Amino acid sequence: MAAYHAVLVHFPIALLMTATLAILVRAVSDAPLARAVDRALVPLLAVGVLAGVVAYGVGLMVWPWETISATPLGRNHMLVATWTLAYWALLLATRWIIGEAIWEGVTRWVMAGLAILGSALLGITGTLGGHLVGIYTEVSEALRLLGWEVYTTYYVPDFTLAAILIAAIILTVMGILGRRRMAA
Amino acid sequence: MPRVKETVLHFETDEPVKEGGFSMKRALLYLAVAIFVGVLGLSWLTHGTGVIKNDIARNIFIPTELTMPLQVKAAYNGRDMFFRYRWPTRQPSIYHDMIKFEGGKWVRHGASVAGPEPEGIYEDRVTMLVDDGSVPEFARYGGYITVGDRMRFFTNEATAAEVRAHPYLGQKMKQTEVGKHLPATRLDISDWKSVVPEEQLAALRKAGYFLDLWHWRAHRSNPIGASDDQYIFEARYGDAGKGPFTDNWDSQKQQPKFMLDPDKTGRRALNWDDLMQHKLGFDDVYYISEDNSAPFDANYAWKTGDTIPRRFLQRGDGSHADIKVAGKARWKDGYWDVTLVRAMDTGNPADDKIMVDKRVYNVAFAVHRDTFGSRWHYVSLPVTLGLGRDAEMIAARFDGDAPKWDQAWTNVVLFYPGQVNWPLLNSAKHAGAKDIRAGVPVKSRHSEIQLAHYGVEMEFADAIKRQWLFTIGAGVLLILGFGIALNGLLGRKGA
Repeated sequence: MAAYHAVLVHFPIALLMTATLAILVRAVSDAPLARAVDRALVPLLAVGVLAGVVAYGVGLMVWPWETISATPLGRNHMLVATWTLAYWALLLATRWIIGEAIWEGVTRWVMAGLAILGSALLGITGTLGGHLVGIYTEVSEALRLLGWEVYTTYYVPDFTLAAILIAAIILTVMGILGRRRMAA
Repeated sequence: MPRVKETVLHFETDEPVKEGGFSMKRALLYLAVAIFVGVLGLSWLTHGTGVIKNDIARNIFIPTELTMPLQVKAAYNGRDMFFRYRWPTRQPSIYHDMIKFEGGKWVRHGASVAGPEPEGIYEDRVTMLVDDGSVPEFARYGGYITVGDRMRFFTNEATAAEVRAHPYLGQKMKQTEVGKHLPATRLDISDWKSVVPEEQLAALRKAGYFLDLWHWRAHRSNPIGASDDQYIFEARYGDAGKGPFTDNWDSQKQQPKFMLDPDKTGRRALNWDDLMQHKLGFDDVYYISEDNSAPFDANYAWKTGDTIPRRFLQRGDGSHADIKVAGKARWKDGYWDVTLVRAMDTGNPADDKIMVDKRVYNVAFAVHRDTFGSRWHYVSLPVTLGLGRDAEMIAARFDGDAPKWDQAWTNVVLFYPGQVNWPLLNSAKHAGAKDIRAGVPVKSRHSEIQLAHYGVEMEFADAIKRQWLFTIGAGVLLILGFGIALNGLLGRKGA
């Protein structure tokens, strides 16, 4: 399955990186070309996320759970891949639901920032996958300089878990209240 | 409630707040982004904490430094083989295993413990495993192959009672702990008890299936210019003959067998306070040996704090005494400088790897420092040693009795290996197990620092795995929450 996974990951990487470019183009421009690019964004993101799901699923079959969950690099690859997929699904849903209004005012820059963050996650996922098959890049050195030794498992302590969960609840409440008030 | 009314209005119309020129919707959007990014930042700043902590009860102590350097040179003259080792340590540890008189009885201080010896009574050491190709896995995986199931000082170490009860290792070979051993000496590498039949052991040994172990100790051999000479096979043993030290303890009388000779040393015992203050150096009496001892005098008026070394240094003999210190091994300016010498052909091929000109060997090094003992050492990956042959480390041929040492050092990175054993590396818990079966060398896939980190994580495997799973889940929930916030706070198509 490793070979299939290696082939399949090219699709989400290519599609989502292209989507990043499209988002950045649309964020900085209201020109007809940028608007045309934006019209392709939802299908691009949808196919990218779908390809990501397939690559993720095949990736789960490369090693048994007992193996992948026991190695720091394997754990890190899984963690960032999961977050990356969830994150791009979020961007897809946001663009899909909000529509072209996403490019109004300052929110276009929020979208651009989120796309850059998504690209970073995608790049880290790919880097860690490369490590797992013995192909190394300087990205891991950059992460090391930023404070994460990729040969150690990325996990957070209990108090950070609590903070994340509280933040998730607050964000959810904010979103629900915002929606209700708009609907009112 | 005009203020509430105004807020609702802003949500509905996205009108700017009059006073600040800022819409409530936009403010909340910024707040949502700030919460999301802020929590991601918190995650980044706190990751990797909260799990790894020392736990002596579980034999867990993580050294502050995970790697250290070692410099090595080798030379030979056709008769003798020299190895010179140089490594940094803040201060030399030359005291080891003492018996202190306190409360009217003799009490042991400085036994092997998990982590650093609390009173600083534990010696520095350098060791070297040597093979001539008879143990092929050693060339690829080094000392990892010697670390088996339920080894001493692992969290799940076999108890002394279990080992003593083993018909071969305990009852016949008098072992009390599971020490280093080679894989083919077990029917099942995952079971330390499954020693192969004795006739098979004999055949393996005859075929050269053992690792030679050069073992220099700063207290238990260095003061008399000697080194221990051992080998690893189905356990770790000293070579045939008498080693450089023995116990100075009469278990029946619960007292030392020997004391310092007052006529030769001016005292009968060391002073405990001198040891604690590191007052005794290389030129002082800090050890007990055949040359400075007398039979213990139980009638002497011993006083609290009198201390006698529990290890008695002796001139070894036979194969056990093949390795000597060349010159004086000393610590100076932050570095140990130790040179060992042994006959290339000791005449003991059953215990030693005979060194032959133009041959390539595999060696691996380890250092104990900072009063760490047992498994708390820094180890190297295997290094090839060529005697006049191309290799990672080339031994220089010289004429005369002493090498000039004019060649460059071979720099070796040593690392803390943690609780990683050979059964684990060959199990489903190691993604590289397939590579091991295919004979892929460890160096082609792992660096020393990588292995050190893996070794540490293995000591907390279950806790880290649990925390990692929680982290994945929390991250997904955060992304979901952020998605809901975004979609609730942003205007939408047609709105």
